[in-house]
Amino acid sequence: MKSFISVTGMGIICSIGKDANAVLDALKKGESGIGQMQYLQSKHAYLPVGEVKLSNDEMKQMLGIEDATPMSRTSLMGAIAIGEALQQAGLTVESLKQKRVALISGTTVGGMDLTENYYQQMKQDDSLLYLPKSNECGKSTDEMAQLVGLDGAETCTISTACSSALNAIILGSEMLKRDEVDVVIAGGSEALSKFHLNGFHTLMILDKERCRPFDDTRAGLNLGEGAAFVVLQKNAENALAYVSGYGNRCDAFHQTASSDNGEGAYLAMKDALEMAGLAPNAIQYVNAHGTGTPNNDISESQSLKRIFGDNMPLVSSTKSFTGHTTSASGSIETVICILAMQNQFVPGNLGWKNPIDGGVVPTLGAENIALQHVICNSFGFGGNDSSMVISLTEPATFAAQSEEYAYSVVADETLQDAEELKQLKEFVSPMESRRMGKLMKAAHLVSLRALQKANLACPDAIITATSRGMLETSLQFLDDINQLDEETLKPTLFMQSTHNTLSSAIAIRTKCYGYNSTYSHGDDSFKWAMRDAERLIQTGKVQSVLVGCFDESTPDFSQIAQRCGEPIPADLYAKAVVLVRK
Amino acid sequence: MEQLVLTLKEQIIETLNLEEITPDDIENDAPLFGDGLGLDSIDALELIVILDKYYGIKLGSPAEAKEIFTSINTIADYVVKNRTK
Repeated sequence: MKSFISVTGMGIICSIGKDANAVLDALKKGESGIGQMQYLQSKHAYLPVGEVKLSNDEMKQMLGIEDATPMSRTSLMGAIAIGEALQQAGLTVESLKQKRVALISGTTVGGMDLTENYYQQMKQDDSLLYLPKSNECGKSTDEMAQLVGLDGAETCTISTACSSALNAIILGSEMLKRDEVDVVIAGGSEALSKFHLNGFHTLMILDKERCRPFDDTRAGLNLGEGAAFVVLQKNAENALAYVSGYGNRCDAFHQTASSDNGEGAYLAMKDALEMAGLAPNAIQYVNAHGTGTPNNDISESQSLKRIFGDNMPLVSSTKSFTGHTTSASGSIETVICILAMQNQFVPGNLGWKNPIDGGVVPTLGAENIALQHVICNSFGFGGNDSSMVISLTEPATFAAQSEEYAYSVVADETLQDAEELKQLKEFVSPMESRRMGKLMKAAHLVSLRALQKANLACPDAIITATSRGMLETSLQFLDDINQLDEETLKPTLFMQSTHNTLSSAIAIRTKCYGYNSTYSHGDDSFKWAMRDAERLIQTGKVQSVLVGCFDESTPDFSQIAQRCGEPIPADLYAKAVVLVRK
Repeated sequence: MEQLVLTLKEQIIETLNLEEITPDDIENDAPLFGDGLGLDSIDALELIVILDKYYGIKLGSPAEAKEIFTSINTIADYVVKNRTK
């Protein structure tokens, strides 16, 4: 029997357009959406950004929302893109009630664009307590589901920094292959925020001019915002394109930089090609991650050269149009790839003039090219690198699973007492742990204990569950933005604020280049992480998985939770389990 | 100068959270990165913040900072010549 993953609908909103037609038009005309910030309020207004050219009120109007309560752009953009995707797939909310549906979204910032403006007042003002309801990543996904009216859908949030949305599509494809659901709506949404604009600024990787990916004079990225979602169905006839292969790997090198030889990216592309059953020369176009930072573009060039050798396909980074839409970039660029395939063109790499010594020479655009197979790359902080092969024609049938492998839990470690963190010295030197916050230390300690107990130096895969990530450092960064007026902020605080920082740090320590993911969906995070781990083992992809569940609280946060009438979170909770195939 | 060198060392130890290191452990002309103290690229970004926050010196990029951050002595020299506060 034929088996393949069909993309039956897609929706997109970003700085170059509020729907797929507008985006296609801008791509064909070579019109970038990067410019002066209009809606984001920041002291660093001189930094160019790729903003969606709509106010929150205009987006609410598009969605028919009459409620005047402020809402996050992440939720609004997400709902707009989901609506467009469902419409194209010919699915109504009513028709979905009869099916098993999953909405999987990738985000890191969540509702921060809204929260950051009120966080200080929120510590006292009860009238602002509606804000935390959409701030957390998971809550932001639930809010999108609610706005669209997806009542019975399972919701899930992946937070692997800038590869989140591509990993959402990968998870959706896996769930369909295993017949866990009938319809998947997967993608990501991320609004610009002062929080991550300042964060990237502390890392000194924002260009003050328009970004120039793969150019020798490139000086960093421009942040962008947007959302894109695709509807995925198994064996659907009315496919726009097919997800024919994918790979999720960890570069296991550095928290904020890619390795010189692009190992993680290389392995992700290699896995994707293998799954698609394609030789590298079948790929005609690569939509590169291509952020425009000195580090990414040379590292990605190396990985591309390792895959393609002298037969380099056309390569471009469409971040020169959209800006770097961070967690949403994987799905935004997937939709761009499908638009290119449907319309037989390759979008150009805007602004490119000077080749990098040893770098890939990108295309400035191509017309009348019948694309059959393309690759979309999406890499995140901590080396969370993913890659996907998208095909216009039906791909090689994926083999139906014949055998299910059983597993056992061979280690299960928990830590809740911060006093115990002194014992981290047994595994990690003070010099190595100098930047680690409380939760990072706890995550390391329980993970390394669990691995020791399981007698494993390095697991095959690492999956983390966390509702709020490293809250202490994130809230400190938020306080600092306010108190220091967006000046002299600490990069150390920001680099630990992405939820995937825990999972990737453990991968870096154990040199685990395997599958790496982070679920950030409130109390369901651990359930989703375990489900993923079980799936990996049952389908024979790995022999062992380290699953972590890490969360912390701060006095400020607990006080707000209490006033919201929510359970007061534990000050510290870290759990690590090791699953091994029997 | 001696006072500035000591202050810089204290600021570095505190900002970078170098738990088991005292100002005496840091040689004035020993390399701070690589084989010396063992600092890395993120520490370099934190040093850029120190110069901005305490001495009003704004550096444009880590590349620009590289030579300045060779040792405590080179940082102190640069601070003396360029500080605005």
